[in-house]
Parts: sequence; structure tokens; C-alpha cells
Amino acid sequence: MAELKIENVNKSFGETHILKGINLDIPDGEFVILVGPSGCGKSTLLNCVAGLEEVTSGAIRLGDKDMTRVAPKDRDIAMVFQSYALYPNMNVYKNIAFGLEIRKMPKAEIQAEVSRVAKLLQIEHMLDRKPSQLSGGQRQRVAMGRALARRPQIYLFDEPLSNLDAKLRVEMRTEMKKLHQRLATTIVYVTHDQIEAMTLADRIAVMKDGIVQQFGTPQEVYDDPANIFVAGFMGSPSMNFLECEVSRVDDGFAVEVVSEAQSYLLPVDPNQADLSGYEGKRVILGIRPEQITHVMPHVAEQPFVTKVTVKIEVVEPTGADTLVLARINDQECECRVHPTESGQPGEMMDMLFNMSKAVFFDPKTEDRL
Amino acid sequence: MAKMSERRYSEITGRAVLYGILIIVAAYYLVPLLIMIMTSFRSMDEIRMGQLIELPRSFTLDAWHQAWNQVQIGARDELGLRPYFINSIKMVIPAVAISTILGALNGYVLSFWKFRGSELFFAALLLGCFLPFQAILLPQSQLLGWLGLTGSISGLVLTHVVYGVSFTTLFFRNYYVNLPGELIKAAKLDGAGFWMIFFRIILPLSSPILVVTVIWQFTQIWNDFLFGVVFSDPSSQPVTVGLNNMVNSTTGETRYNVDMAGAIIAALPTILVYVLAGKYFVRGLTAGSVKG
Repeated sequence: MAELKIENVNKSFGETHILKGINLDIPDGEFVILVGPSGCGKSTLLNCVAGLEEVTSGAIRLGDKDMTRVAPKDRDIAMVFQSYALYPNMNVYKNIAFGLEIRKMPKAEIQAEVSRVAKLLQIEHMLDRKPSQLSGGQRQRVAMGRALARRPQIYLFDEPLSNLDAKLRVEMRTEMKKLHQRLATTIVYVTHDQIEAMTLADRIAVMKDGIVQQFGTPQEVYDDPANIFVAGFMGSPSMNFLECEVSRVDDGFAVEVVSEAQSYLLPVDPNQADLSGYEGKRVILGIRPEQITHVMPHVAEQPFVTKVTVKIEVVEPTGADTLVLARINDQECECRVHPTESGQPGEMMDMLFNMSKAVFFDPKTEDRL
Repeated sequence: MAKMSERRYSEITGRAVLYGILIIVAAYYLVPLLIMIMTSFRSMDEIRMGQLIELPRSFTLDAWHQAWNQVQIGARDELGLRPYFINSIKMVIPAVAISTILGALNGYVLSFWKFRGSELFFAALLLGCFLPFQAILLPQSQLLGWLGLTGSISGLVLTHVVYGVSFTTLFFRNYYVNLPGELIKAAKLDGAGFWMIFFRIILPLSSPILVVTVIWQFTQIWNDFLFGVVFSDPSSQPVTVGLNNMVNSTTGETRYNVDMAGAIIAALPTILVYVLAGKYFVRGLTAGSVKG
């Protein structure tokens, strides 16, 4: 176990610049998730940490050791791959024992270690099966077993759950979290699934175009996104972005929204943003669907809450909530209401806009204000 | 009702035509072999009295004995095809083994350990597949002369290995590029090195393509005549050359039965290899085309 430091790492393949100055400090025992759309460089970064790709510049430190030019096998790192990469010619026992054999561990110790891991992951009964005789979830467990057996300093996971069906994925997600709580080892985990990132991580690094856009706890990334990209990527259904004009009201600022030819001024919480430089200019209002709800008396009395009448365009029931698509400022806007409160498409409906968690972005730089 | 039976009949007719054509084609290939086998068991008297293509009236292994170790071939002391057959075996086993191992290693490197210029290297190797035998006769004999291997079995082995490596590399490389690269990454992280990954992981997964390569190389090298006749001296000539000499160096009447028996002896090992491993050959050829 050790802390992992990624210092100003750059990686290019020929002319293509994949990683552009990545800096991440991951303390011992933390579960860090690299998340981003495909092609953002998250898997490349993971491969660089593992030593499977050489960094073009920068350094990778594990504890107090510089691992930048160290061969993968000497980095004391274990990795679980998306395809699991189990050795098809070996049975489960051999798959788990392979790394230990190479490291010349005595036979008896190997046996003890394999049975410890097998017990931990509940795969004891399939030790003499070949990978081809296992289901996806079982292969996943074996791949994790192979990583666990070596007791490395850190674990790397490259989209380990993306080949499983939806139900199994949720199950394995919970197990992964339990496992981390029990082992308390450093984990770097790559995924493109923001729900996986939110549920599993101690901290999330959101990446785009080879740059870390934001590195923070799931709640920070969700509530305090650094820019439009992070705000839109995290959360499902994603945040609404409404371009609107800033105007001054008695003791602060407000943004103007128009619904069905009716104009409303939504007051801006000064704790969320200082819009003093933007009076009369346009900004992008970011507001999550759950901040726009049907009328509830206890919410209506809170500060920074405004009632807006919208016209329902589309209704999407999800069971727990119903998503209502409306048109605000001539842009689509999703609202989250209780299933029994939702109207029908074409009907008018009163919505409460709660601005206490709203965020604002500069329309040009797309950065947070 | 009438319509249905009509359709049934047309289907049956289609099948019948199909099978008819297949039987004719199969016969076209099998009848010559059958005649060879039958003739090899007939006596010369019988052939002389009757026709060349005829069912045998008696059964004798005489022609086989003759061809194997009694007939005088050229001016050598040892009789029959036997010494040539032994030469072929001495040539084919090391040549197949070495070219297959080299091909597997080349394919492994070209798929998983790419280096600067490895694509160019592969392209250059591929060019070797298109080189006609005749084109390398002169430079190869010069090379064998320099190495002091002229007229030896080792010289033949070297020639076949060099010529065959292009093909074996192509086979293995195309098989290995379909193996997931993550397998190699996982093994590297497990601490395995170049050779360990090759022997413990890649080679055990190679059986289908190993079979294809061995059959291909075995057939090519065993059946080769040109290299055999150019790069050998009488003590190292392979069985193809021996058969040719036997058939062409006899004086007097053509002994069809002995010639046929000799031809079958020369062809027997390749037939045997196909019978034993043909199933895997087809399987290996299609391996990788369908993801399992």
C-alpha cells in the first residue's frame, strides 16, 4: 500500500497528443475513479501508471519510489482488464497462481494464497474450471482474484464492469465497494459510466481531451462542477443549460427566463456565484432536473425559489420520478416531478425553480462563474 | 397438394444433381489413385498379358518389395527407394520443426512486441511468399557453397527453412493478431517476461495454427523436387528425386507395378499426415475468422 503521485504526465503517440500534463495525488487507500468519454485518455493514463505504456514526459511515483522507467512487473501493481484477459489455457487456480509462481513463491504459500482469495471472492468451487466454462460475472471474479493474490501496492481497474449485463453490474459494483472497504488499498479505476464513478469513488477525476477537468469527491463534482463539460457529464438525466440574461434586482442579481411568452426573474443565490461583472450580459444557467419540481408548499416558501408555468412537451416516467420536458428560453429543459403530479403533454404545469444549487457558466469559456 | 409434391420433387432433383456432380468429381480424383493401388499389387506378367487398367486377378507384394529395397536406381550400391526415403525423413523433420518454431517466434514478435520498422520487416518477409523456387536456385547454391553445406542434408534443411519461414511467419502472425492484446499485458503485470509469455501462454493457445503450419510445411518440403534435385548429391537425395531416378533410369520394359508402388511409397507420409490431422487443418484454417 502506498500513495500514488502522477506528476505532469504527457503522452504522445507520434503526432497525437493523448495526455496533456496530468497531475494527480492519490493518498494511500483512496478509491479514485478516472471518468470521461471514450478517447479522453483515461485508459492510456492507467496503462502509463501500470507501465504498459511509457510516458513521454513527467513522472509516476509510488510511495517514495520513482516508477517512471520501471518495468511493469517490478512496479508492484495489479490490473484488472475490461476483457478480463484470463489465460484461456489455464484453469482458475493456475490463473490466480501464475503471478505467484513467476515470483517464485513456495508451493504451499501459493496454495494458501489462492484459497484465501478464492474464499474472499467465493470462487472456491470453480478452481479447476477453465475460463471458457465460466460466466461473465465469474470471469470477472477470477480476474479480480488474480489481482488480489499478489497483494500489490495498488490496484488498477480498466472498465472492469462494462462487459456485464446491467443487473450483474450493479451487484458487482456493490461488491467492489465492500471489497475496498475491507482491504482499504489504493485503487485507480477507469470507467465511462458516471453512475459507477459517483457510487464507487472516494474521489473522481473527470477527464476530457487528455486534461483532468476536475478532481474532487463525487459530491463536489456533482454540486460544484468546474465547467460545463463536468456539469453535463456527471448526473443522469444531465443538468439543464439555459442561456439567459443577467439583470440587477433590489439586493442582488437575477436571470431572466421566458416560458410561453411569460417572463420570470429567477434570483441568484450570492453563495453560488457573483455575477456583478455580468449585468446585462448573457450567462449559462446550469440547473439540475431535481431542482425543478412540481409545487410543494414547504419548498415554495424557501428563498431563491420561483414558480414558473411551463408547457409540457414530453413526459418520461422512470418509476420513482417522472421527467417532464419543457421549453424555457426556447431551449429544452428537463424537470423532475412526482409521478402523480405530472400532467399530460400539451398541458400547462406550475414548476418550482430552486436556485439554491444553480450554477453559472461563462458562455464563451464555458468555465464556472 | 399437387403444388407441394412438385416442390418436393424439384428439391429432390436438385439434391440428386448436386450429389451426382460431387460423385463424379470425387471419382475423377480417386480413380487414378485406385488404379495406382491396383496396379501396384499386380504382377508384371499379368499386366503384360492384359491391359493396364484392369482389376487384379492375383495379389502380390512383389512390386512393393522391388520398389522399397530391390530395384537398382542409378549407379548406387544400396537398392530401392529406402535410402532416399530415409534421407527425406532426415530432411523433413528438422526442416519442419525449425521453420515452424521460427515462424511462431516471428509471429509472436510481430504481433505483440512491435519495434520500429516491424511492419516493414513483415512486408519484406511476405515478399518471400511470392518468390518462385527457381529465382533462388543460384544465390542459394552459392550460399551453400560458402557455408560448406553443398550436397548435404543439412544444406537442404537450411534451404527449406529459409524458404518456409515466410509462410510460417505469415500463418502465426495472422493467428496471433486475433488474440487479445490484454492477455500479454496481464502476463507482463504478472511478472512474465518475453520467453515466459511465449511458452506458458501463447504457445499453448497455438495448437490449431501449429497443426496448419506443420501440415503445410511437411507437404511442401516432402513433395519438393527442385531443391532436392539441385542442392543434393546422390547420398543426400530425397525420395522425390529417388522416385524420378527409379522411373527414368530403368532400361527395358516399363515396370508399371514397381513404378506405381514407388509413387505410393513416396506419397504415403503426406497422405498419412492429412488423414491424421486433416480435421485440425480445416479447423485451423478457419480459426480466427469466427470469434468463439
